[in-house]
Amino acid sequence: MFSFTKKQEIFDISGIEIGGQPGRYPTVLFGGVFFKGEPDFERTRRHLQKMLTLSKKTGNPVIPDFFIRKDEYIEEIITFIEKTLPKNHPFSIDIIEPSIKIKTLEYLHKKNLLPRTIYNSIHIGITDEEREALKKYTPEMAIIVAFNPKDKSPDGKVEVLENGAHLLDIGLLELSKKLGIEKILVDTAALAPGENSGASIAALPVIKEEYGLPVGCAIHNVVEKSKWLNDFESARKIVDSSSNINIPVFGGNYAIFGPIENADMVLPIIAWQDILVSEYTENYFGISPVEFHPRRKLLQ
Amino acid sequence: MENEYYPWGGEFTVCSPNGCVAVVLLTIKYTPPDNVAIYGPLKTENIGVEKIVANVISNPYIRYLIICGDDIRGHRSGTSLVALYKNGIDQQHKIIQALGAIPYIENLKEKAIERFRNQVEIVNLIGIKDNDKIDEIINEYTARSPPCFGEPYIAIRIKTTANVNLDDKRALHSKIVVNYMGKVKKRGK
Repeated sequence: MFSFTKKQEIFDISGIEIGGQPGRYPTVLFGGVFFKGEPDFERTRRHLQKMLTLSKKTGNPVIPDFFIRKDEYIEEIITFIEKTLPKNHPFSIDIIEPSIKIKTLEYLHKKNLLPRTIYNSIHIGITDEEREALKKYTPEMAIIVAFNPKDKSPDGKVEVLENGAHLLDIGLLELSKKLGIEKILVDTAALAPGENSGASIAALPVIKEEYGLPVGCAIHNVVEKSKWLNDFESARKIVDSSSNINIPVFGGNYAIFGPIENADMVLPIIAWQDILVSEYTENYFGISPVEFHPRRKLLQ
Repeated sequence: MENEYYPWGGEFTVCSPNGCVAVVLLTIKYTPPDNVAIYGPLKTENIGVEKIVANVISNPYIRYLIICGDDIRGHRSGTSLVALYKNGIDQQHKIIQALGAIPYIENLKEKAIERFRNQVEIVNLIGIKDNDKIDEIINEYTARSPPCFGEPYIAIRIKTTANVNLDDKRALHSKIVVNYMGKVKKRGK
């Protein structure tokens, strides 16, 4: 458990605050939606309600991460967001295909939803068209993925943020600012087992001390890619959910924890871990938890 | 085919090491016949492609690389692999004309890529998911029984040892110092 010398940024999006010294704010949890197949709105509505109820209980803010795979899903998913999420609740859009990213930004602008949008994500593969679209339709917040295909260590991740690691003309942080995005969450890019997957965790305190920005990652992806766990079927979901504790332990601020269906496991696990971190950081570093922190909500 | 470095790494199944066909599975539910050398899924257009290249050139018996199934959305890993085979990489190490999101080859030397392009012929079945048809094509290429390409090319060697000594005071990383309580500061400040 850590405390940082560098001033730590805290960014607010529609009432949810992310960042700061470990122990002050609860870990923010991103639950993924619509990863596979046709969007199932009814099922998702139920899971969203469940996740929001759990969030009220533990104090950990939750943000749904909407995966948009096809053009034809853009309008229906955004309409679903408008109708289903509580008023002003933030959300992230998780899109791989640049052309779909651009169309989605345009549509979010049309619907006046960009102030609630977390753009997931900006990385070294950003296209010129995407840059132009982001300048024109700027989301409130963006996740910057520190993926460096050449160097998967924390140094390589810092390099890509700092100077683009020769893959881009400038670093991803400067690029984001040039696009008009001030609120940045750094994703330390969890890679498959065998690809220095642990570096995504080690990079959390390194990047926090270097830049003071909120950091996190989708560490559960490493579990998903650990095929050897197929021989331990009953443990898989537990390992997947509990892998997220690495993030608050190493000073991170948010976890992209995978399918929203896992919220029932992930929220109590992270709340438990947040309490542990808070007890230590308050005792040794004088960091008081905010009012809605799990330590205040759950320990009576 | 026995080689201490083959197969190199990734998610795959080795079948007949002296087989001349390797199969790349994109979005498809399919198990190739046992006469193929190796098969496995391809997910990413960078590290995933690198692993396939490294594995293929470390086994000179592989002469055909069959890519089947629907391409991976966004990543376009299958077409990126085909683009690498057709066009190679540019000075930025980007696969020329690849449509994937981050199609960079950073961990292989150009010589390794050239070797890959010379050793194998790509059989592009992207979009095809009919298992019987793929079986038929695999058998057709296997029957061609081409000669071995020569010596294995070892593109990447796995590091098996790390140097650690007791004077190393890096708690987590060379950029930061962590004291006994957990206070982090930048090294040198």
